[in-house]
Amino acid sequence: MLWLENVHVRRGGTHALRGIDLEVRRGEIVALIGANGAGKTTTLWAISGLLRCQQGRIAFAPDAERLDISRMRAERIVAAGISHCPEGRQIFGNLSVSENLMVGAYLRGDRDGIERDLAAVHGLFPILATRAALPGNRLSGGEQMMLAIGRALMSRPKLLLLDEPSLGLAPQLVEQIFDILQRIRNEGTAVLLVEQNAAMALDLADRAYVLETGLIKLAGDGKALAQNVEVQRAYLGVGP
Amino acid sequence: MSSAYILEQIANGIILGSMYALIAIGFSMIYGIVRLINFAHGDIVTIGAFAMLASVVALNAPFALSVVIVLIVGAGVGMLIERIAFRPMRGAPQVTGFIASLAVAIVIENLGIMTLTAQPRNFIVPAWLSTFIPLGPLQVRAIDLTIVVMAIILMAALALFVRFTKIGMAMRATAENYNVARLMGINIDRMIMLAFANGSALAAAAGLMWGSKYSQISPLMGLIPGLKAFVAAVIGGVGSISGAMLGGYVLGLAEVLFVGLLPPEYSGYRNVFVFATLIVILLVMPNGLLGRSTEERA
Amino acid sequence: MEQRSSWLAALTAALFGAVLVYAATATLDPYVLSIVAFVGINIILAVSLNITNGFTGLFSLGHPAFMTVGAYVTAILTLLPARKTRLLPDLPAAISHMQWPFLPALIAGGLVATLVAVIVGFPVLRLRGHYLAVATLGLIFIIQGLATNLDGYTRGALGLNGLPELTNLWWVYGWVLVTLYVCWTLKHSSLGRTMLAIRENELAAACLGVKITRTRIVSFALGAFFAGVAGGLWAHLVTLVTPTSFTFLLAFQLVVMVVLGGSGSITGAALAAAVLTIATEALHPVEEAVGLYGLSQMLLAVAVLMVLIFRPKGLFGMAEPDLLGWIGKLHGRQPTRSGSKCHREV
Repeated sequence: MLWLENVHVRRGGTHALRGIDLEVRRGEIVALIGANGAGKTTTLWAISGLLRCQQGRIAFAPDAERLDISRMRAERIVAAGISHCPEGRQIFGNLSVSENLMVGAYLRGDRDGIERDLAAVHGLFPILATRAALPGNRLSGGEQMMLAIGRALMSRPKLLLLDEPSLGLAPQLVEQIFDILQRIRNEGTAVLLVEQNAAMALDLADRAYVLETGLIKLAGDGKALAQNVEVQRAYLGVGP
Repeated sequence: MSSAYILEQIANGIILGSMYALIAIGFSMIYGIVRLINFAHGDIVTIGAFAMLASVVALNAPFALSVVIVLIVGAGVGMLIERIAFRPMRGAPQVTGFIASLAVAIVIENLGIMTLTAQPRNFIVPAWLSTFIPLGPLQVRAIDLTIVVMAIILMAALALFVRFTKIGMAMRATAENYNVARLMGINIDRMIMLAFANGSALAAAAGLMWGSKYSQISPLMGLIPGLKAFVAAVIGGVGSISGAMLGGYVLGLAEVLFVGLLPPEYSGYRNVFVFATLIVILLVMPNGLLGRSTEERA
Repeated sequence: MEQRSSWLAALTAALFGAVLVYAATATLDPYVLSIVAFVGINIILAVSLNITNGFTGLFSLGHPAFMTVGAYVTAILTLLPARKTRLLPDLPAAISHMQWPFLPALIAGGLVATLVAVIVGFPVLRLRGHYLAVATLGLIFIIQGLATNLDGYTRGALGLNGLPELTNLWWVYGWVLVTLYVCWTLKHSSLGRTMLAIRENELAAACLGVKITRTRIVSFALGAFFAGVAGGLWAHLVTLVTPTSFTFLLAFQLVVMVVLGGSGSITGAALAAAVLTIATEALHPVEEAVGLYGLSQMLLAVAVLMVLIFRPKGLFGMAEPDLLGWIGKLHGRQPTRSGSKCHREV
């Protein structure tokens, strides 16, 4: 439901993405792994419209119709059904927890639907219900991550973009979150996951891509890539 | 120094503070959302005063309607300024934005001088506002009371809007992190325009109040009040609306008390006092009383 | 070899300029002469502001304040003692009885301005960007307020009139040469490179051991000195100085000259100063004819907006147009590369 074809992005003088091809199908989790600076975050920014791609096409098909979102404004891309949970969580510290969640549903008008989704998010992350009135900047790192994901889910997206959810979190928490990602996928939302923690990402994902200095070096089934010798050496810390 | 005199000074301070607060809120709202100082803000005060005069004299409109007209004109001018001087500068270094808003200020001021001449004009206030109302030991002019009440109503309305409406929440989100706000689907162009509109409407209202209080208006009248209101915003913490309100009253009281309590030969120093306070505050308390340190100041 | 050739080139240019000044003084009518003098004064102002704003990246709007200080000091020193005692009763007797010749008075004006800059600079220069700009703007109003209220020393709002008309094109030209020389030397010195470093990346500069605060103050003070001198020259050209002689409007115009010329380019700043002064003067008769006072300033502001929207780096950016290289070519050698090699083009 998401296609990137030969996407080039120049950012601040560097040629960050040099023609990448990527695909996310309905109901799957796709992982995008690679070293720092490979261009993973840039890819997500290009998809959600915060960055313009100079060449290539990005297409999104939330329903039957295929939309060309390469030049679309970020606000409209969100409306189309893509939700981006950015790197470093970036919740609104000055807004309360419940306001953060409500702002995630900014474009929606269906009160009942919003109520239901709010309840669902509270179900996934009960801590958010208890902390509802607190300002966002008083939450711990893990709680902020949950808030960020919850906020991203409040727009009832067809595709969720997640940028490095494991960053700075304790391993136990990361496992919790990855379990929740599975639940999200099972309930019909596709996920494009950018991760530095390659091992966990490959374990979770249905398919994966390896990004290296702006180019897709490898692509394939999650488990298969985890067995790939190059990947093991470069990203999994295994091997000679 | 009698207690009645001191009370009178405090009353004057509150009146002046109300006007500073309204103007300062505009500075803070705009700075909070685009991180730029709108130098033309003081000129919107001037425009508000002239719009009021035009409405009362040329259109013969009743007082309340004129106030509404002034608010609308203020909002309109603010949005125009945003479109011309701020939107094109988005992403440019701070200096560029500052120069652009200075340029706009100069254009507006010179337009005013060219079309209206630099001569001050008399401001017309409806007769019922010039009556005196006894308030405790003081005799307060109706217009002064109106100013304070109007200011409080406007500020309360804005505060409620920002805290309790969906759009208000979106504005707060945009002010904090505009990229992520876009990821929520918020149209930040609209949020920025709204901030300018609201802030400028309040500034225009302050203009009509200023004209009412001092009975004279001229094309350059808003310049120094505008700068002083910026000092107020800094005192309260630039970017914080409640800070701007607080700073406005603090500065108003401080300035009036400075002039009122010191011997008369020092009254000419009131502007020196205000701007010296600016420098001191920027050094000692750069985040102001209520501001959050979102960026480098020193 | 190259050093001597560029010295020669500079000397030739200076002599050529002197010839021009002589010709101008002899032939042009007083009105045009005063315009040329204004151009020169604005060049001094723009080029010296370039040190503070352009090289070091400080956003200072304070030049008018220093001009006021310099103008008043110079004026007070050159006034006849009789007038001083009559007009300025609070002046200490020692000063009241003195009357200084022009050059020492100008230098004194510059030095007092420098002193003010250093005193104010210590606290204020810790600020950045906007906050520094507004603080220096506040300085203008503070100095205006002091000048207005300390009327025993300054004759308050009336100002000092009937000043001896000491400024002529030679004085202006001489100071222009001094300013240009100082700025040129500074730009190619290690202090100049330090200033550029601070402008480009302050954190990195600090890590390299650059004394940030000290350099900023030096840059501020140097600009203030020339602003003070320029103020003195101005006062003795117009024969009048009041607290509101030098306003924030002037600050804007100066910043525009620096920005239009390209922050960091001496030639650019000088050219922009010349062009803007002449353009503003040329527009004055139009203003009178149409009855629209303030038109020239407005057009300037509009022009600035246009430039900012379409060419945010100014006309020259950091580089100096290779004028000396031209002259060198005439002598049959390679043009020298001007501008420091150790900077990034902004």
